[in-house]
Amino acid sequence: MPKSIVVDPEQTQSAGRLAFAAVDLHAYATPFADEVEARGGAQLRAVLRHMMIIREFESMLASFKATGAYAGIAYLYKGPAHLSIGQEAAAVGAALGYRAEDHIYGSHRSHGEFIAKGLAAIDHLDVEALEAIMAAEQGGAVRDAVAHGPGGKAHAERFLLFGFLSEIFMRSNGFNGGMGGSMHAFFPPFGAYPNNAIVGASAGIATGAALHKKRAGSSSICVAHAGDGSTGCGPVWEAMNFAAMAQFDRLWADKGGLPILFFFTNNFYAMGGQTIGETMGWDRLSRIGAAVNAASAHAETVDGTNPLAVADAVARKRALLVAGKGPALLDVECYRYSGHSTTDVNAYRSREEMKAWEAQDPIALFAAEMTGAGVMDAAEVEAMRADVAALIEGVTRLAVDPAVAPPVDVAGDPTLIGRKMFSDQDITLGGPIEGLSPEGSATFRQIKRKARFGIGPDGPLSPLRAVTIRDGLYEAILHHMTHDARLVAYGEECRDWGGAFGVYKGLADFLPHDRLFNAPISEAAIVATAVGHALEGGRSLVELMYGDFIGRAGDEIFNQMSKWQAMSAGVLKMPVVLRCSVGSKYGAQHSQDWTSLVAHIPGLKVVYPATAYDAKGLMASALSSNDPVVFFESQRLYDKVEQFREVPEAYYKIAMGTPDVKREGSDLTVLTIGPSLYPALAAAEELETLGLSAEVIDVRSLVPFDYAPVLASIKKTGHLVVMTEANERGSFAMTLAANISRFGFSDLKAAPRVIGAPNWIVPGADMEDTFFPQVNDVIDVVTSEFYPSKRVNKRGIRNWDDRDLAKHGL
Amino acid sequence: MSTPLLVPQLGNEITEAEVTEWLHAPGDTVEAGEPLVMITTTKMAMELEAPVAGVMGAIVLGEGEIAEVGATLTVIETA
Ligand SMILES: Cc1ncc(C[n+]2csc(CCOP(=O)(O)OP(=O)(O)O)c2C)c(N)n1
Ligand SMILES: [Mg+2]
Repeated sequence: MPKSIVVDPEQTQSAGRLAFAAVDLHAYATPFADEVEARGGAQLRAVLRHMMIIREFESMLASFKATGAYAGIAYLYKGPAHLSIGQEAAAVGAALGYRAEDHIYGSHRSHGEFIAKGLAAIDHLDVEALEAIMAAEQGGAVRDAVAHGPGGKAHAERFLLFGFLSEIFMRSNGFNGGMGGSMHAFFPPFGAYPNNAIVGASAGIATGAALHKKRAGSSSICVAHAGDGSTGCGPVWEAMNFAAMAQFDRLWADKGGLPILFFFTNNFYAMGGQTIGETMGWDRLSRIGAAVNAASAHAETVDGTNPLAVADAVARKRALLVAGKGPALLDVECYRYSGHSTTDVNAYRSREEMKAWEAQDPIALFAAEMTGAGVMDAAEVEAMRADVAALIEGVTRLAVDPAVAPPVDVAGDPTLIGRKMFSDQDITLGGPIEGLSPEGSATFRQIKRKARFGIGPDGPLSPLRAVTIRDGLYEAILHHMTHDARLVAYGEECRDWGGAFGVYKGLADFLPHDRLFNAPISEAAIVATAVGHALEGGRSLVELMYGDFIGRAGDEIFNQMSKWQAMSAGVLKMPVVLRCSVGSKYGAQHSQDWTSLVAHIPGLKVVYPATAYDAKGLMASALSSNDPVVFFESQRLYDKVEQFREVPEAYYKIAMGTPDVKREGSDLTVLTIGPSLYPALAAAEELETLGLSAEVIDVRSLVPFDYAPVLASIKKTGHLVVMTEANERGSFAMTLAANISRFGFSDLKAAPRVIGAPNWIVPGADMEDTFFPQVNDVIDVVTSEFYPSKRVNKRGIRNWDDRDLAKHGL
Repeated sequence: MSTPLLVPQLGNEITEAEVTEWLHAPGDTVEAGEPLVMITTTKMAMELEAPVAGVMGAIVLGEGEIAEVGATLTVIETA
């Protein structure tokens, strides 16, 4: 309870001066001879070799992009090549500091980090473990593609490089089945988790991954690899704060901050904007650590041209993280020799600057150290370089060969990619978690006393006497929380307050902080961490207080939560349920129905129940699903009692995707989305008095959607109205109307009609009735457009001229 | 003198609340501001405090009973 932490005015108002934990700059000073002594020649040779592998690998891509050929191999590579030539020491040094079980998340420029992490894992793991990993990957197909050559660890290296390159070339046997490519590659068995094409996106995802590690009691860490440019991204700041929340130390039973390292590869530029002197306020990137917490996030600036300086810093940060002192931040300075991409003409940097950094080439510097210390001689360095070139050439020959690395056959199987969007898997719950009983909770007992059906002899019961939508949600969530220890729920004001609309009311009485907690006002971090937590094997239930705040988590919902299952060709699962309430009475920025916006994005399941029975059953399905679900809940309906059927006390599920006939009729079909169900039902009652029988169908889910019940209905009625509270333009209601026109054209006697909200702002509380479709609007439409002989002008407000409004952008 | 403890007005849409738990029993001596009873509306659960110091009277509305805003839950007797 935050109640246990008293905000004492005497303390807050005491005068003083804040001090900031000092941030070290380039503190590494270990003589090379000492490193040789401590690490031994073999490890240092591996460091040099790994840097050379990355350099050669990326030079190969550069050569394909620039000339269409490499080492006499002609190939047209059309995809992205964000190269990190010059930055190899940062990647290899970091990997030297990690353990195989540490998980890294990367950026658009993460080839080096991926290869370095993979090679380090190969060094750490024994041959037996490697063979098991290679056997498990695509039934051994990648292993077999590179079978020719030396065995053991050398085979594993070819496996790594081929699986990666094949992925970059988007071949079917790439590590992500060709669905990820250069900027989204990953290979979990080596601890290389997704890279990300959205600048800074990995910060939040890796933070969620670290949340999972903390909850699992793991002694390994997660790393967000990001560029200096990403320090301008709001979601990165949100992630750093989330990772540093005071509650981990002050309220959680298992104390300690999240085991996450924010690793900024600082090459001083974004694409063409210079961070240090132009676009950022910091003079040293590491300074931003001071904004995170009193420890300045243990920030340090280190020399990213020296792999051993990086390894030293990473190892020290790692030790802090494992000891529960996270988060940590590293500013790893280095320089990118290659352009941002192959179209970069370096218009933004001077020749002098580039020349000065050439002298800092990490591979040349390290080779010189090695020869200087007598670990290798010049001839050995050259032999190593030649050997590496042969390795890359060999792997490249295989990866361009369609017989060895077959392209993804989308022409032959046109819906192949579509089938990767959802895993369509459900978990089965085990028994109740021991020691976690809601019996002591007053809310639990209160709901137990309620009637399971909301209509009494005198009409609808009060929401205190019968089960409501809020209670339906609560019961499904309670069941999952008490039967699935992997499930974690959080969001703004979720714990003691019970969520702004009370769905979690009373859960804080018996759920520990690591199962239900208050998140900062960081919608991006809330969703991004939910994604990372789920990618690592957790299950996430997160809440945006209002659907209107979806914009604040746009990338996280639209690019991350939605896409990773497909971009991983099904390797990753995304059990995230994102609850969004749809508001009312608070005007333009708190009352919008954004279901259409979300349904537009491929890869998200979208539900919007309107009854207690449906809310409970759909929430149980959503929480059982391994697919991401955006779960909309109308604030106007939270108190709605069930009026169609008994809500079972026992746990049950309703499959997502099945519309439900709520009222049968024969003259017209009203298909409703969300709360429109209720005006539709009232209109149906009134139409009955005019001799018209309306069938009312509640979509319940927008994605997936089974058209069959609706088509069966219009076969009978010949008329369709689709009702939504979303703005009509581009709405899901329009999609439904268009598709039903097509699928059921011969059954329709008139064009379907969408009755939605107009294309302007939601007005304030007293004017809402003019915005959301009302009973009279339905009656006007039905009697004027479908049954003119029954025309009664109810003077619904909606008889405006849609074509004229469209001309004016409305 | 006796001072009643009433179900408070809790926002313009809430008309009733349910008693979920009595934290004191009749005859208990209570301080002003001491939590006496937990009530819940559809949205939130809250503790109601003793309006004055004194001895708690009979429980008018027991656990599980639903009361309108303004209803008396108990009274506090002061000397
Ligand atoms: C959210 C977002 N904005 C912009 C871009 C386009 N973009 C790709 S890389 C890049 C520069 C990133 O700079 P930095 O973080 O320093 O990484 P670096 O490229 O230097 O490795 C930009 C602006 C993007 N991919 N994502
Ligand atoms: Mg940069």
